Amino acid sequence: MCKKVLVVDDDPDVRSFVVTVLEENQFTPLVACDGVEGLEMIQKETPDLVILDVLMPKGSGIRLYHHLKTDDTLKAVPVIMFTGIALRSFLKSQKALEEFKGEKVPEPDIYLEKPVEPQDLVDAIKKKI
Amino acid sequence: MKIKKLLFVTKFESLCYDALYSLLDLRKSGLEHVVFLNVIEREKVAMRRGRGYVKDEEVRLKEIANIRFIDWAENLFEMGMEVGAYIEVASLIPKIIAVVEKEQPDLIVIGRSRKGKLEQLYSRSDITELTRRSPVPILVFKHMTENKLVPAKIFERPLFATSWSNSSEKAVSCLKELGNIIGEIHLMHVVDEKDLKSSDTHGVQGVRKKERNRLDDLCAEFEEKGITAKPHVYVGDPETEILKAARENQASLIILGFSDRTALMERWIGSISRNIADKSPFPCLLFPVKK
Repeated sequence: MCKKVLVVDDDPDVRSFVVTVLEENQFTPLVACDGVEGLEMIQKETPDLVILDVLMPKGSGIRLYHHLKTDDTLKAVPVIMFTGIALRSFLKSQKALEEFKGEKVPEPDIYLEKPVEPQDLVDAIKKKI
Repeated sequence: MKIKKLLFVTKFESLCYDALYSLLDLRKSGLEHVVFLNVIEREKVAMRRGRGYVKDEEVRLKEIANIRFIDWAENLFEMGMEVGAYIEVASLIPKIIAVVEKEQPDLIVIGRSRKGKLEQLYSRSDITELTRRSPVPILVFKHMTENKLVPAKIFERPLFATSWSNSSEKAVSCLKELGNIIGEIHLMHVVDEKDLKSSDTHGVQGVRKKERNRLDDLCAEFEEKGITAKPHVYVGDPETEILKAARENQASLIILGFSDRTALMERWIGSISRNIADKSPFPCLLFPVKK
């Protein structure tokens, strides 16, 4: 059975790029446009992998990542960060959230800064599933 | 009413990160979420004879905005704040209202209206249009000095001009929550010269005393919340007197309720709030009429 990969990104061009890459590599793509919709999809569909943007309306990828990695039922879902926000800022923001919420989260396994070549994205996906 | 989430509307002309940075003092009073909105005017990418819809230009403008927002967002994320962003080709005010409905912010921050006089007459200023339609307060941000410096602490010394309307009541409940960042608030009411009907001193002083007592009661409400408040009664044309009071008390911000004068009247005669927001050198925080 095809593995389900959820792409959470507010930019339709990026969603379309990722969906094309997924379909061409026999994955089943799922899409969400913001952090809130992303969390709903993860809870409903339990994807095998999430490709997550950071700067989005209605709930950023920073909060969604923190939520996923501190929720016992969701923390096993692998996440590839795919964003224009620098890794350094992402890590600092997670640290700030940790201080505020008191729960430590692991660093993301794969952090891709936009733009990336399709093959780099495929390689990253295949590393996780 | 706490300001936890603000919508920052920018065209990257007058309203940039320095303006946003000066508002981050609001974090002491609960601000935790900033949503950026950049609206690209339709005319910039609209259909052109022989060229059609200028898709390349839309992509270019969106990417320029995105690069700015990423830079700003990184700073805010590092502070532990939540950030969102919208970059859209649309009409400004309807888009702001749509994002307000979606995001439910507690405050909208916008630069001063750039429309010309004639344009304002027929289509109203952006500020008026927004205040008519927005359910949340609007901060019209301005750089206060000639060298365009942003006031470091915009809420440090506000002047609140109350007309005792229901929008002023809304302002009071919001301002009381800003005790951590307001240094000293100046409360004023302008008595219209027409209301001083009595020809003797006693009558005139009576009007002053009545308004002063109301302001004293309001000062007491603020002081209960730990905010130093000073009352002032002025007489004359409200627009002139509010600006006079702002200068005399070195205000960092003017706070006003919006009148519920009809839209048509306002378009032709103008409103005090709109005129001050559009023309004065002071940043203005406007509270819409409670629906």
